[in-house]
Amino acid sequence: MHGVKRVQYSQAALEAKKQRDHDKLKAYLALSDDVIARKSHDMSNEAFELTTRLLRMNPEFYTVWNYRRDMFIESLFPQRSPSEVNELLSDDLSLTFELLKQHPKVYGIWNHRRWCLEHIPDGPSPDDVNGYRNSTWNKELFVVEKMLDADARNFHAWNYRRYILATMPFPPPPKSELAYTTRKIEANFSNFSAWHQRSKVLTTLWETGELDRVKSIEEEFELVRNAMYTDPDDQSVWIYHAWLIGNGNYAARLQFEITSIQELLDEQPDSKWCMESLVRYKRLLIEKHAENLGDKKALVDSCLELLAKLRDIDPPRRRRYDEIAEGIRSGNEMQ
Amino acid sequence: MTSSSQLLIPLHVRYIQSLGENKDDLTYHLTAHLRMNAVYWGLTALCIMDHKDALSKDETIEYVMSCWVDEAGAFGPHPDHDPHLLPTLSAIQILVIHDALDRIDVPRVTKFILSLQQPSGVFAGDQFGEIDTRFLYSAVNALSLLDQLHQLDVEKTVSYIKQCKNFDGGFGAVIGAESHAAQVWVCTAALAILDRLDVIDQDTLAWWLAERQLPNGGLNGRPQKLEDVCYSFWVLSSLSVLRKVSWIDADKLTSFILSAQDTENGGIADRPGDLPDVFHTIFGVAGLSLLGYPGLVDIDPVYCMPANLIESKGLRKGWEALPRKAS
Repeated sequence: MHGVKRVQYSQAALEAKKQRDHDKLKAYLALSDDVIARKSHDMSNEAFELTTRLLRMNPEFYTVWNYRRDMFIESLFPQRSPSEVNELLSDDLSLTFELLKQHPKVYGIWNHRRWCLEHIPDGPSPDDVNGYRNSTWNKELFVVEKMLDADARNFHAWNYRRYILATMPFPPPPKSELAYTTRKIEANFSNFSAWHQRSKVLTTLWETGELDRVKSIEEEFELVRNAMYTDPDDQSVWIYHAWLIGNGNYAARLQFEITSIQELLDEQPDSKWCMESLVRYKRLLIEKHAENLGDKKALVDSCLELLAKLRDIDPPRRRRYDEIAEGIRSGNEMQ
Repeated sequence: MTSSSQLLIPLHVRYIQSLGENKDDLTYHLTAHLRMNAVYWGLTALCIMDHKDALSKDETIEYVMSCWVDEAGAFGPHPDHDPHLLPTLSAIQILVIHDALDRIDVPRVTKFILSLQQPSGVFAGDQFGEIDTRFLYSAVNALSLLDQLHQLDVEKTVSYIKQCKNFDGGFGAVIGAESHAAQVWVCTAALAILDRLDVIDQDTLAWWLAERQLPNGGLNGRPQKLEDVCYSFWVLSSLSVLRKVSWIDADKLTSFILSAQDTENGGIADRPGDLPDVFHTIFGVAGLSLLGYPGLVDIDPVYCMPANLIESKGLRKGWEALPRKAS
């Protein structure tokens, strides 16, 4: 269990709570025993309603979700028209949406939602076999947007979003998803989940050639610079920036970013992330562009000085900084 | 409330022993779907605290076997619950700890596990098809404990993990998913078992993991999230496989874990002041073991099981924990 506070109860309050819990438990166990006793053979509407009640009490009880799906397949669907099947599934989509609002991180609820989407029947007519599907899948983006508005870091919701985009009959174009990540990032630069999604969407757009990689990365550096200056303490931006730099093959870009980050460090002299990034990019200059460097020793000394400062301002990670410094010194000596 | 600058082992042992006793506890019944996992967590915690015999071996084995679902060739988490890969792994781990693997029909369980691999290389948890790298790890771990790893399509399995690699060096639950410390652990540990740590950008990932430590000494699972004792295991064991445990502050993390103990009733919580549970108890104790806390037994960070047991089966991989302090 996460985030459940220990509470001190008075004797009277404790007794009252015990009685409430006891009644709740009795009801729960009676229902649970009843449902479990039925699951091997009872596919009736009555049993179906019992699973609804039980799942409202305990949506993590995956065996009961399994039983519910078995009932759909073995008895509820075979008796009904496509329109009725579609309605049953719509009802379960409503049920799961309601449960997700109270239990946004329960795997079983998200799983059942996917199952429902994947079992939408052909219809409403022989001329329009995808009508039910299109209409339902199109609504899913709204559903997942609501969930992400409530908690922008909910990875269940993000994974579900990616699943919808990958599976829906007529998905919006990747550029539209890029715009979604821009909105999320501009709402909150610390939204690592949005930066992560952006890294995936951009990679796709570069691979398909829809966006020119070089030009796109230049624009990304601008976006990141804005975020850096707004919130220099947020690690999301710096980790994303390191990804943009990549293997550091472009010396001019490295130099430009180093200058820019140094300016920020001048304004924020205790910024760990500025220092960490300067070390990273100066090391790349030393490793990849040594032949073009004017004063290599100055770069090396600068790294060692920054690493010494990092040891002081970020003591938990001092061993890492020491190892990097050792690496720079020995690499330097080898040349 | 007494000071919690020490691990209160006798108290936590009693806490674990008491877990099945309060049949009036609503939470206990609401978590029946996790029972097999909980038994494994409690048993492993007892092993690491060197009190393996605090729970009856025979009763434990009897419970495990009462969850066998013969038509599937697999285990559920509780009698009459549906079989699934997660409780199947926990069942195998419990039986290995109790040297009772002969109770399992190995070919049938192997068949169940292998049947869950998808064309992409990931594993589903059961026939309803939910996929997750947690299940991939469970399959790899289970097959290796059953000595059936040779039946696995390793290339296919590794290729799925490769595709889960993210811009920060970490791994997510599925292809495209955000890096999360628990998913990083399952992917790293699976790669360790399969001798494919070459897949990992070790420097980048170790950096991302080191950045999980917060000013209060606790570790979080992702950027901007709260500290939580369970990450003491997920993050630390990943660092241990990468041989970079020194990249976090051991003393501060130790203090954080100890401060999350329930000093009245025993057990460890996700953070100080919260209710304890067996999940956070094992991962707090396991984290302390990796940090070299005195008086604890070595834990294998790849399997989350006693290290000497894994070593005796010839399954130990090249990980590094901090040396055990004398006191």
